[in-house]
Amino acid sequence: MTGALVYLTWHTVLNRLRRQATRLRSPRYALALLLGLGWVTAVLWQRWEPGAPHPSGPWVEVVAALSILLLIGWSWLSSPDARALTFSPAEVTLLFPAPISRLTLLHYKLLQTQLVILVNVVIWTALASRQQPGLPVGLRALGFWVLITTLALHRLAAAMVRGSVSEHGRFGLRHRVLSVALVLIAFGALAWGVWDVWPGLMAAAQDDHVGLREAFDKAVHHPAIAAVLWPLRALVRPLGAANPSDWLGAMLPAVGLLLLHYLWVLRSDAAFEEAATEASLARARRQEAYGPGALALGTNRAPSPPVFPLAPTGWPGVAILWKGLTAVLRRRRALNVGLALLIMGAIVASASSEPWSTVAEVTGALTLTWLGFLIVLGPQWVRNDLRGDLSRVDLLRSYPLRGSTIVAMEASASAAALTLLELALAALAFLAFLNMDLPEVTTLDRGALLGSAVVLLPPLNLMAMLLQNGAAVLYPGWVGAGAPASGVEALGQQLLSVTALWVVLALILAAPVALAAITFLGLEAAVGAWAAAPAYGVGLGVLAVEAWLLVRWLGAVFERGEG
Amino acid sequence: MIEVEAFSKLYGDLRAVQSLSFSVQSGEVVGLVGPNGAGKTTTLRSIAGIVRPTEGTIRVAGHDLAREPVAAKRELAFIPDEPQLFEYLTVEEHLRFIGRLYGVADAPQRIPALLEELELTDKRTVLPGELSRGMRQKLAIACGLLHEPRALLLDEPLTGLDPVGIRNMRTTISRRAETGCAVLLSSHLLHLVEEVCSRVLVLVRGQTAAFGTLQEIVTGRPELAGRPLEDVFLQLIGRSGVEQ
Repeated sequence: MTGALVYLTWHTVLNRLRRQATRLRSPRYALALLLGLGWVTAVLWQRWEPGAPHPSGPWVEVVAALSILLLIGWSWLSSPDARALTFSPAEVTLLFPAPISRLTLLHYKLLQTQLVILVNVVIWTALASRQQPGLPVGLRALGFWVLITTLALHRLAAAMVRGSVSEHGRFGLRHRVLSVALVLIAFGALAWGVWDVWPGLMAAAQDDHVGLREAFDKAVHHPAIAAVLWPLRALVRPLGAANPSDWLGAMLPAVGLLLLHYLWVLRSDAAFEEAATEASLARARRQEAYGPGALALGTNRAPSPPVFPLAPTGWPGVAILWKGLTAVLRRRRALNVGLALLIMGAIVASASSEPWSTVAEVTGALTLTWLGFLIVLGPQWVRNDLRGDLSRVDLLRSYPLRGSTIVAMEASASAAALTLLELALAALAFLAFLNMDLPEVTTLDRGALLGSAVVLLPPLNLMAMLLQNGAAVLYPGWVGAGAPASGVEALGQQLLSVTALWVVLALILAAPVALAAITFLGLEAAVGAWAAAPAYGVGLGVLAVEAWLLVRWLGAVFERGEG
Repeated sequence: MIEVEAFSKLYGDLRAVQSLSFSVQSGEVVGLVGPNGAGKTTTLRSIAGIVRPTEGTIRVAGHDLAREPVAAKRELAFIPDEPQLFEYLTVEEHLRFIGRLYGVADAPQRIPALLEELELTDKRTVLPGELSRGMRQKLAIACGLLHEPRALLLDEPLTGLDPVGIRNMRTTISRRAETGCAVLLSSHLLHLVEEVCSRVLVLVRGQTAAFGTLQEIVTGRPELAGRPLEDVFLQLIGRSGVEQ
C-alpha cells in the first residue's frame, strides 16, 4: 500500500512539472520562468564579499534560536493552520475509504510535506554556504533538513493539538493534557524569565551598546530562558559547526529532538482522520463554490461583524465597498496582522516614553521596514477586490451598476484596507521615535512626513489598486482568481507584475508630480514652505482626472466582458 | 416585458446564437429548452447583461439593455445554475447587500419572510462555505427574489434542491408569474417546463426550432398530438438535426 502512495506522490510531482513545461510554450510564462530563475540565481549564488565578516559563533545561534522561538510561538498563538491536515477532495474520496491504516495515511502526509521541505533545504543550504563556508555542503544540508523537518512536525502537532482542543473542548483538552501542559510550562517559564531580566535590559538600553550586549547575554543565560532556548539552540547548532567532528557532536541532540517530535505527531494522530476529513471536506466545499482563493478564509468560527452597517437605501456603489471591506476583515490574515499591530503598539506604548529606548527604536525600525514593503508590494498582497471576485464576475456584471462604479469601488476597498494599515504603521513609527533626538530629522519634520503620508498614501494606493484591478479586467487568466500560485514561474509572474505596475504607475505619476513641482517652485519664493499646500492640490487634482479616465475606460472594458 | 429581436452571439468564429427573436409577457412563464450547447445559457446571460450581443437588441421592461443597462438590470434577476455567492458574507448579509444594490427600502422587513419561505432562517448568520449545495442554491434564489424583479431569468433552478425545495420552487415560479413577473426558465427537466410554462422556446444549435404553446408546436405534426413535451422535444431535435 505504501508503494501505491509513493507512486501517487511521484506521479503527481511529475505530471505537475509536465504541465508547467507545456505552459512554457506561451511566451509570457516562459518569460516569467526566466525571470524567476534569474532572481533565484542572483539571490542564491551571488559571491560573498571577500572582506565582509562572516556571521558565526554563539550570537548567531542565539539569534537563530530566538527567531525559531518566535515562529513556534506564532504557530501556537495564531489561528491553527488547517492546511497541515488537509487532504484534497480526491484523496478524501479515494484514500480514506481504502484499506490503508491511519499510520500509513499520516506518513503519506509527511511524505508530501517533505517535497516542500527539500526545496527549502536547497535554498537555505545555498544561502548559508555562501555566507559561512567550511562545512561540507551535504552535512550542512542534513542539518537544515533536521531543523526544518522538526519545525514542520512541531507545526503539524501544534495544529492537531489546537484543532482538537477547539473542536472537542474539554474532551479534546483531556486527550492533549500533556502537550498543553508542556506548552504552558514553556510559555510560563519564558514569561517569568523575561519579567525577571526586563529591568536589567531596560537599564542597559539607556547606557551603551556594550552594556546592552552584556545584559542580553545575561538574559539568555537566565535559567528559565536558557531552558526554553536549549532545544532550539540544539536544533541550530549543527548549522554553525566548524568541522565534521563538531557537526556530528551537535547532530545527536538535534536528531533526538526530531525523533521526539516524530513520536509526538504519531501520538497526536488520535483525532487525525476526523479532523483531516472535516478540514478537507470544508476545503472541498469552499473550492467547489469559490475556487482556490477560498482557502484563505477560516469558517470554523462565527464571522466578525461587518465593517459598518449597510443601510438599505442610498448610492448602491457603497454596497460594493462594504462587501470588499467586510471581506478583508474576515480573512485569517487580518487576524494575524491585527495581532502583530497590537503587539507592536503595546511595545511602543510602554517603551516610547523613555528618553532613549532601544526597544522602541527597534520596533520603530521594524515598523518602517514593514511599511516600506507594503508601499512597494502591498497592492499585490491585499486582494479584496476584483482579483478575489474573478470567479463571480458574471454575478457582478448582472448587477444594476455601471462597470466603472464596480471597478472604482472594488479598487477603493483594497486601497482603503491597505491605506489604513500603512497609516497605522506610520503612526506607530512616529510614536516609536517620538522621544528620540535626531538632528537630521526633527520631530517637526517627522510630523510633516506623517502628514504627507496621510495626504498622499490614499491616492497613491487607489491608483495602484486601479492598475491591479485593471490587470484583472484585461488579463484575468494572468492575474488568476484567489490565492497567488507558487513556484519559480509564479515568482517570475509576480516580479513581472510588480515591475509592470511600478512602470505604469511611474508614467501615470509623472504629470501630477511635474505639475506639483512647478507649482511649488513658482510659489515658494512668495509663501515659503506653505507652497506645498497648493502644490499638493494641483498634483492630486491631475491624479484625480487620470484616475477618472482610467476608471471610465476599465469600466467600459468590464461591461463588454472582453477580458 | 422581455423582448429579444434578431439576437446573435459569436464567440470568435463560433456562432452560439443566431437571429433569435422572442418575447416574454408580464405574468408569463416561457420555457427555454434545447440540447447541450444549444445556446440557452448564452441567451440568458445576454438578457442578464453579462455578455453583450454581437447583433440584435434586448429590451427589459421597455429599457434597451445596450443603452440603459442599469435601468434594465434593475428590473430583472438572473439565477444561474451554479450559485455564485460571496464566501465572506453571511446568508443575511447577502440579502442586505442585494437590498442596497437594488435600493429595496423595506429590505429589513422583506428579508425574514424570504428566509422563512426558503427555509434559511436558522442559517441567517452562517457563511456560504458551511451551506450544502441545495442551501446555497436557495440563497441564490433568495437574492434573485428580494427586489421583486419584473423579469426573472432562471437557469436550471432545481439543481441541488431537495424534494420539498423543488415543490416550493415550482410554487414560487408560479406565484411570481401570477403577480405579473415575466419568467424565462431554462431547464432540461421537461416535465417541469411542461408543468409551469405557458410557452416553450426550443433552441437547437443557436436557432429557434420551435416557439409557442405545446399545442401550437405540435400543429402540423399530427403524429405528436397529445404526446408529452419530452417526445415533442426529441422529435424536434431529430428533425432539426436532419434539416441542418
